[in-house]
Amino acid sequence: MSPLFMTLLLVVGLGIFARTMYQRILLLMALEPTDRFNRIKDRLKNMVIIALGQKRLVGRKKERASGIMHALIFWGFCVLIIRSITLYGEGYVHGFQLPLLGESSVLGYLYIALKDIMEGVVLIMVIWAFYRRLVVKPPRLHNTWEAYLVLGMIGVLMISDLLYDGARFNLIASYGNPGDLHYFNNPTFGQEFLWTPVTVLAGNVISGFSATGMERVMGLMFWIHIITQLAFLNFLPLGKHFHVITSLPNVFLKSLDYPHDKIKLLDLEDESVWEDETLGVNHLHQLNWKQGLDLYTCTECGRCKEVCPTYVTDKPLNLHDFNDTLKAELYANADNLILRAKLAKILTGDAEKDAKTKEKMAVFKPEKALVGEVIALDTLWACTTCRACEQVCPVTIEHVPRIIAMRQGQTLMQGEYPQELNTAFKGLERNGNPWGIGYDKRADWAEGLDVKLMADHPDAEYLLWVGCAGSFDDRTQKVTKALVKILKAAKVDFAILGTEEKCTGDFARRTGNEMMYQMMATENIEVLNGYNVKKIIAACPHCLNTLKHDYPQMGGHYEVVHHSAFINQLIADGKIRVKKSLAGMLTYHDPCYLGRYNEIYDAPRNVLNTLSSQGLNELPRHGTESFCCGAGGGRMWMEETIGSRINVERSKEIVAENAETVAVGCPFCLTMIEDGMKELNKDEDIKTRDIAELVAEHLA
Amino acid sequence: MKILTTVKKVVDVELNIHVENGAILDKGLQYVINAWDENAVEAAVQLKESHKADTTLVSLGSGDNTDIIRKCYAMGIDNAIHIDDPALAKADSPTFARVLQKVYEAGDYDLVITGKQAQDTDAGQAGIMLAQFLNIPCVSNVIKIEVTDDSHIQVSRLGDAGTEILDVTLPAVITVSDGINEPRLPAMRGIMMAKKKKINVMDLAGLGTSFEDVGGTAPTSEIVEFMPTEKRKGGQKFEGEPAEVTAKVVDLLVNEAKVL
Repeated sequence: MSPLFMTLLLVVGLGIFARTMYQRILLLMALEPTDRFNRIKDRLKNMVIIALGQKRLVGRKKERASGIMHALIFWGFCVLIIRSITLYGEGYVHGFQLPLLGESSVLGYLYIALKDIMEGVVLIMVIWAFYRRLVVKPPRLHNTWEAYLVLGMIGVLMISDLLYDGARFNLIASYGNPGDLHYFNNPTFGQEFLWTPVTVLAGNVISGFSATGMERVMGLMFWIHIITQLAFLNFLPLGKHFHVITSLPNVFLKSLDYPHDKIKLLDLEDESVWEDETLGVNHLHQLNWKQGLDLYTCTECGRCKEVCPTYVTDKPLNLHDFNDTLKAELYANADNLILRAKLAKILTGDAEKDAKTKEKMAVFKPEKALVGEVIALDTLWACTTCRACEQVCPVTIEHVPRIIAMRQGQTLMQGEYPQELNTAFKGLERNGNPWGIGYDKRADWAEGLDVKLMADHPDAEYLLWVGCAGSFDDRTQKVTKALVKILKAAKVDFAILGTEEKCTGDFARRTGNEMMYQMMATENIEVLNGYNVKKIIAACPHCLNTLKHDYPQMGGHYEVVHHSAFINQLIADGKIRVKKSLAGMLTYHDPCYLGRYNEIYDAPRNVLNTLSSQGLNELPRHGTESFCCGAGGGRMWMEETIGSRINVERSKEIVAENAETVAVGCPFCLTMIEDGMKELNKDEDIKTRDIAELVAEHLA
Repeated sequence: MKILTTVKKVVDVELNIHVENGAILDKGLQYVINAWDENAVEAAVQLKESHKADTTLVSLGSGDNTDIIRKCYAMGIDNAIHIDDPALAKADSPTFARVLQKVYEAGDYDLVITGKQAQDTDAGQAGIMLAQFLNIPCVSNVIKIEVTDDSHIQVSRLGDAGTEILDVTLPAVITVSDGINEPRLPAMRGIMMAKKKKINVMDLAGLGTSFEDVGGTAPTSEIVEFMPTEKRKGGQKFEGEPAEVTAKVVDLLVNEAKVL
C-alpha cells in the first residue's frame, strides 16, 4: 500500500507501546522476587487449559453464556493475529502472504475461511456485549467508558477488515480487478471468495459504490484497521484491558503450590527483619512481582466479588476495587519504586555501610500507608480466606496470600489487628487453645469413653487429632464422641494426644500472627514426631489443612485424612454398616477448607447418600462454589459488626431449600450454621449435624 | 514523672491445681503475669505515652522471671529490675512490701502503680503496706488515673457505694483494678525488640539489704496447708404436680439443707 506511511505508523505505534511496556516491566522488577519459572510443563498445561482453553469462563454453569461470548472473542483474536501480520506485510509488499498460508496450500484456504467466520462471530459477540452492558447490566460489571471504547474498537477492527475484504471482492468480481488486486485462485481449491461468505456478505452491503469509490473504501478500511489496531495495542496497558496482554503470562506464571501460593515461612529469629520491619507486606515494594502482575491482569470482571461472602453481606471488601486501588497506587509510585529498587541492589548487608543507603531509600517511601490509608483496615480484616474468589478468577489472581501477607505486616510489625483477637491469641499463648480454657482440660471430653492416649499407646495406627473445638466446645464435643463411637465400631486402632495436643495455629497464621503459629507448630510437630506419628484423622478441616499443607514447611510430614473421607472408606470396606434410614430432606454445606482447599467433595456426599433414604439435595451454592459460613481466616474470633451476617445469609439459603437436616464437616461451620438457624428461628425445624453424628446415629 | 510498677509471677489459676498432703503439686503448672499487675503495667505505659513518664518495673521472686519481664518490655516499659533471691520463696506480704520499699528508696519515684492483689494468694496487701511503710498516700481499687500537674493526680476508685473521685498528692501508691484498662497484647515486633533490653537482676544483698532486714525471718503469717476446693455437686430435679413438688422442696430445705 504505502511502505512509508506504514513504517511511520509502525515506528510510532510500536515505539510508544514498547516504552510503556518497558516501564511496566521495570516496575515489576522493582518488586520482591519469587520463583515462577520452574516446572515448565505444568505451567504450559495451566496456560493451555485455563488461558487458551478459557476454562473458568466457559466452565462455570452460572456464567456459561457470557463465558462463551468472551471465549469466542478471545479465540477470534488469536485467529486474527495472523491476519494482522499479513496486513502489515501488505503495507510493504503487494499480495503479501505468510509461508504455508498462501494460495498454494489448503492451509491458506482453511485459514481465510476460519478468519472469515471468526470475524463474523466476534462482531456478533461484540454486539451482544454492548447489549449486555447497556440493557441487561449484570451487577458484577463495572460499567465504564473504557469497556465501551474497547468493545467499539474491537467492532471497528472487525468491520474495517470485513469491509476491506468486501471492497476487494467487489472490485475483483464486479469491476474486473482494476488495481490488479491479489486474491487466492488455485485449480484445486478454487477462488478465495468461495471460502469467505461473511466477506461476500460485507461486499454486498457496500456494492453501491463505483469502482473508484470502492477503491477508496478499500484503502480507507485498510488504514482504519491498521491505525485502530495500533491505537488498541497502545491503549491496552493503560487500563483493565491490559489483561489482553498479561493473562497468558499471568496464568503461565501462577503459583503451582496447592491451592495457592503457600504462606511464606518467615524467619523470625533473624533480628534484622524486626529492625528493618521487613516481615509481611506493609509497603508497596514488599509485594512480589507476580502479585504486581496479578494487579496488571485484573480485568475487573467482578466474578470475585459476586461469590465473596463479605461483599454480598455488605462488608467493605470488594476484591476488584482492592486490586484496582493497589494497581493505581503501584502506578502512582512507579518511579520511586524503581529508584528504591536500584538502591536496594547496592545494600551490602553491613549495617554501618548500609545506613546511608537505607536513608536514601526511605526518601522514596509512598506518601500513604499501604494499610490504613490505601487499603482500609476493615477491608483487610473482612476476608474469611474462603478462596471462592480465587476459584472463579479467570486469570488465576491469588487474592488470599496477598491479604494474609498484608495481615502479617499489620500483626507482626504494627500490632494493628482487631482487638477481639487478643483474647484468642492470649488463649493460644497460655493454654494452646483460642478459648483460653486450661490446657489440662483438653481431654476431659474423653472421660469414661476408654479412649487411649498416645502416651500409653504409642504404636496406635492412627492419631485422632481432636482439635480445640472438638476438645473444648460443648457442641463439638458431641461430634468427637460420635466419631469415637464410629472408630470403635470399626475397631480402628487409634489414640489421641490428650493434653499434649495444641491448636494447630491455623487461625493465628491466617490472621498474620506467624509468631504464634510457629510456636504452636513447633510444639505440635515435636510431639507428633516424638511419637513417630504417620497417619492422622482430623475432624476439623482447618486442622487438616494446617497439618497437611503448612506443617511440611517445618518438618512435619503426615498422611492426614478428614473424618468424612475416613468414614467413607470404612463404609466402602465394610468395616462399619449403616442403615439407610435418615428421613427427610437432607442437604450438605461444603466447608471451604475441606472443599476448595483440599478438594474433598465426593467423600462426604457418598456417606450422606448412603444414609439418606431420599438422597442428598444440593444447595444452589455447592461444591467449588460453596458459600462460606463466615468463620474462616480467623473470623471465628472476630466480631462481625459491618453489614449483614454471613452465617445468616448461608442459613437462609438452606431454609429456602426446605431442608430438614443440614450436614457439615467442620466445627466452625457447625457453630455458624447452627447459630444462623437460631437467628432465623429455624433451629427446631432444621437440624445442623456433623457427618460423624449422622453416621453414629445410623450405625447398623 | 517517674513511675514504679510491680509485677508478680503467679500460677495460672485457669488450670486444675492438684494438691497432695497439704502442698501444691508441681505437675502441669503454668506461670503467668498476675492479671491485675498487667493492668498496672498498661496504666504505667499509658502514662508514659500521654505524659512522657519514665517507667520502671520491678518483679520480686526466686527464680527466672525473664519471660514476664520481656513481655512488659514489649508492652512499653523502659527499665526493669528483678530481685531474685531464693529467700523470697517463703516471704509474706509485709516482707515483699519492705523489699519494694528498698527498691522505691533506691530510685526517685513519683508514683507507684501495683495490681490490687495477686491471683495466687489474693492477699491484696503489698501495695497498701508499701504506702504505709513509706508514709505516703495510697488509693486502692483504682479504675482511672488522670494527671493534674507534676505533683498531683486525680483517681477514680471503685468503692462500696459507687465510684469515688480523689485528688492525690504525689508521691503516692495506687493499686489498680481490672476495670482500668484492657492490657495490650504487644506487637510481635515489640516482643522481638524486647529481647535486646537489659534486665537489672540483683539479690537482696545487691539491693543493699538482707532477708532479715526486710523482716523475712520474722514473718507475720505463714501458709500452713493447701486444700483442694470441693467439686460442685449436681443439682436435683423434681417432677410432678406443682403442689406436691413444692411440699417436697420445702421439706428438703427445712429438714435436709436446714436453711429455712
